[in-house]
Amino acid sequence: MDIFGSFALLLALIAALYAFGAGLAGILTRRPLFTKSARNAGMAVFGLVTLAVASLEYFFFTDNFTMSYVAQHSNQALPAFYKFAALWAGQEGSLLFWSWLLSLYAFSALFLNRSKHPELMPFVGVVLAGVQIFFLVLNNFVASPFQVLGAADSAGVFHLARMSEGNGLNPLLQYPEMVIHPPMLYLGYTGFTVPFAFALSALLSRYPGEKWIHITRRWTMVAWCFQSVGILLGAHWAYAVLGWGGYWAWDPVENASLLPWITGTAFLHSVMMQEKRGMMRVWNIWLVFVTFMLCILGTLLTRSGVISSVHAFAQSSIGSWFVTFLGIIFVVCFAAWWKNRDYLRSDNQLDSLVSRESSFLFNNLVLLAACFAVLWGTLFPVLSEWVTGSKISVGPPFFNKVNVPIALFLLLLTGVGPLLAWRKTSFDALKRNFAWPLAFGLIAGAVAFTLGFRNFYALICLILSVFVALSILSEFYRGARVIASRDNTNLLMAIGDLTMRNTRRYGGYVVHFGMVLIFIGIAGVAFNKDVQKEMAPGESLAIGSYRILCQNFDQTANKNFQSERATLEVFRNGRSAMMLYPERRFYLASGVTETMVAIQTSPLRDLYVVYAGRSPETGNPVIHAYINPLVKWIWFGGLIVVLGTGLAMLPNRRAALVLRASPERSWGGAMAEGTTAVGAVARRVESHD
Amino acid sequence: MIDPGSRATSVSRTQIVPGRTACRPGVARTMLLACLLAIPVWVVAPAARAQETARAKSLGQKLMCVCGCNQILTACNHVGCTYSHDMLKELDQHVARNESDDLTLQAFVQEYGPTVLAEPSTKGFNLTAWIVPIVVPVAAIVLVSEVVRRWRRRAVLAPASGPGVSPELVARARDEADKGSNE
Repeated sequence: MDIFGSFALLLALIAALYAFGAGLAGILTRRPLFTKSARNAGMAVFGLVTLAVASLEYFFFTDNFTMSYVAQHSNQALPAFYKFAALWAGQEGSLLFWSWLLSLYAFSALFLNRSKHPELMPFVGVVLAGVQIFFLVLNNFVASPFQVLGAADSAGVFHLARMSEGNGLNPLLQYPEMVIHPPMLYLGYTGFTVPFAFALSALLSRYPGEKWIHITRRWTMVAWCFQSVGILLGAHWAYAVLGWGGYWAWDPVENASLLPWITGTAFLHSVMMQEKRGMMRVWNIWLVFVTFMLCILGTLLTRSGVISSVHAFAQSSIGSWFVTFLGIIFVVCFAAWWKNRDYLRSDNQLDSLVSRESSFLFNNLVLLAACFAVLWGTLFPVLSEWVTGSKISVGPPFFNKVNVPIALFLLLLTGVGPLLAWRKTSFDALKRNFAWPLAFGLIAGAVAFTLGFRNFYALICLILSVFVALSILSEFYRGARVIASRDNTNLLMAIGDLTMRNTRRYGGYVVHFGMVLIFIGIAGVAFNKDVQKEMAPGESLAIGSYRILCQNFDQTANKNFQSERATLEVFRNGRSAMMLYPERRFYLASGVTETMVAIQTSPLRDLYVVYAGRSPETGNPVIHAYINPLVKWIWFGGLIVVLGTGLAMLPNRRAALVLRASPERSWGGAMAEGTTAVGAVARRVESHD
Repeated sequence: MIDPGSRATSVSRTQIVPGRTACRPGVARTMLLACLLAIPVWVVAPAARAQETARAKSLGQKLMCVCGCNQILTACNHVGCTYSHDMLKELDQHVARNESDDLTLQAFVQEYGPTVLAEPSTKGFNLTAWIVPIVVPVAAIVLVSEVVRRWRRRAVLAPASGPGVSPELVARARDEADKGSNE
């Protein structure tokens, strides 16, 4: 079976090479046979990589410990759920998984457009095949997941070795969210390949108009949505598993996932400028290029060992491959842009600084500033070491200081931008749209200040959140009120109708609303509290309005791990409110200990309790309790963001009057000869805004 | 709230505390032995007494744990971390001696190297870490403003006219409109 998997991967590489070569031949000779053949080969890559993935999964489920990768990342007692997820537990498997997702995207893009855009698709096929070739070369020759254990004897005969038991899966990954989080992130990273392929192809083929933008909009949104979900799941996993009381530590790998998300967000906004006004063509093309390059850079950071991170895979030579690939991508993109830069000339100019266009421009600038700040902070330790010879740390305090003001300015633009008109906005319109939301925002800030909220950034965040939320709601209200009065329907129905008429616009507002909730949740950090105490049974600690009484410590075990667990009774305002059971698990196969946090969550605050181990001095158990306000808003906001993105991807359904000449029948069924009636037929039509 | 009953499917509820065992003696003995072997791992854990004062907490947030977990010192609960426990204890001692913040941080830098500071200093080359994220966006805003200013200067309003309509077509339209109104 190992030969089967290796062979499938090798065939996949050959198919990708063929798709690349035949695609190029098709473009140069304009012979449809080459183009069609290249497309079929491109689609076949998916089938072949699927066989390789299935083969590796088979080894996991059959505990085949002659396979080096299986022996390193699985053991017999590992639950089936996690055996499946062990596929992406190490470098070789995760690169194979990456190739598989990439081939899935390539297959979908080629198949769904097989009879469309005949001028563009051959280029798209070539670009997709080019990217696939890189990853398949890594899978085949650099980081093969199908290496077997064993050694060759003096006669050169290879003898297979088999471990009786595997090392087991990294305990940090033995958590349900960890089964979903990496695939979501990978779907995001690999998903940006499709818009990249279309953008580069449109530039190379000088594809007329803004068609490539229309084609890639949904692909970009899909990738962006997966990336958002992946980032949030990662944050939730860090919160629930790592047990340090937070969800975002500005770790280089976390930052690496944020970078393409930021530029992807900028792209999703600036494409509207190109669609509506034919502006920012160069900007958009480069945003897609940069987003894709940041995806590759993220992979480089994760795998090269250039930057120390808890997430990073072991240091390996694979980094040089990614640097080379990144260099090739940049050269190809730059050359394509330089050669075809006249194709990207804008149709229109900016008419006013107080307009939707300028707000998009500022939004893009601020997003790119945030992206640059994160990238700069992530790479600065390397730069500093290179220049001064001594390494320094760039930790969370730096990122918070630099990025919080930028993020708040972005939040402001989230509220302001959609309320500005295209081309130019009058002062009266500004007053009409902003007066009430701004007034309520300031009132909310004043109330919070009176109640004792003194954290500057939290106050600003509250004012802006109220402002943005109300400006979004007022947009829905204004539009729905018109529909409700015209169609004589209730406001709720009218809101639904309004949303479905322009899903992109109102879906976008829903996403913005979700982001507001996320910002509110993040602002809660300003009010975090924590207490750490040694607690023998019978002792208690107080935090906020809670008192935590230690009742007992016990131990449990199963085949996979042993656990030491605290039984804590939580009193709130003097009354027994709940029991919490934080624990530490010792995983037998890997010999690693991990925390299992106990969280009591509510919309206002989380009570987060960690069993931090035993004190080396006294041997007493140590309990670390946190009160983290508003964390639930982050996860709920994430759900709203996903919902809004899904909504924005739906086609518009617009009630349209279609004038149609239709013969009318009388009640008797006789045709009224010679008479036709123009029937006004309302029907639902699909269109895109 | 975590309900212990809900864990029954994934975690054996076998109690291995002597006198409370609920499984076969042989299995219990093996598990007890394994747990005893595991206890040293649990013992090596962050201490409870560190960072009890607000000042120690505040200072702890300016320091990184040097174990490689990339966490600030007060957040590192990295299991088996051989650094954070001692570092937190040391921090408490500095605070208890009422040493100034600078002196305390300097003492950590001397002991663990510059990577122990959670953010770059504002001296020498490290100052660029702070300046560049401000300068670059400001420069970008200036650049974009200049581009926008040029765009607006170049923008010429196109005359508000529709597509060219021949006089014959206009006359025909007038005729048809007249006829329509007469009917």
